Amino acid sequence: MTGDHYELNGLAVPDDMEQLHDLLEEASAQHPHVPASDVMMFETAVMELANNVVEHGRPVGQVAWHFRLEVAADSLTARLADSGEEYAGWDAAATHDMPGEMAESGRGLPLASAVLDELDYRREGTSNVWTMVRRWQA
Amino acid sequence: MTEWQTDVSDGVAVIVCPARVSMAVAASFREAIAAAAAEAPKVVVDLGPTTFIDSSGLGALVSGLKTCRQAGGDLRIAAAGEQVRTVLKLTNLDRILRPHDSVEDARRDW
Repeated sequence: MTGDHYELNGLAVPDDMEQLHDLLEEASAQHPHVPASDVMMFETAVMELANNVVEHGRPVGQVAWHFRLEVAADSLTARLADSGEEYAGWDAAATHDMPGEMAESGRGLPLASAVLDELDYRREGTSNVWTMVRRWQA
Repeated sequence: MTEWQTDVSDGVAVIVCPARVSMAVAASFREAIAAAAAEAPKVVVDLGPTTFIDSSGLGALVSGLKTCRQAGGDLRIAAAGEQVRTVLKLTNLDRILRPHDSVEDARRDW
């Protein structure tokens, strides 16, 4: 079964992040053709992007998000849209810079970008939209 | 609120982690390591139950490592699963947090 999609709405608060884990688990269970290691790494990226919305979404506590996951024969694609103010921190090149070992923060986007084939940000109307793709050999 | 189970014996504190060490628990994780280090600055973080860690969990581990070293001890990680090991490697943290296969292994020669 491929070409399926899943959708979820939530608030940009830490407690709403669990639903995203659960959704990815459910999608994975229903699509055994998706390699477990790819689900694992995709989940890692999705959670980093969602955390980023929680951390940087303004106004704090009032940002809503919509998540859409598409399961294809050879890829997972997620679209995470949030209602927050325009995200000023996006620098596609800088997402590859892993901070030093003793840093206590700043690993989220570099980690996400390391496990994705595509990571894109754009402002669409009043939303911030993050697109994530991970592919494998089908 | 996640309860952090910490056991201290023979001068080593062992903290058992939950299934997901993520943003929702990162602050309490940091506090649990600091509390353990105050009792015994040699701390083993048991990641056996953990199937998922994110960058805020990693930040808490680095913070904990610094706290333990400042107190004259160190922090070791044990029983990390595939996702945790992969994430440590991708962030280069395996250089400062070498995964030990088990809690017993981490306690050995310490």
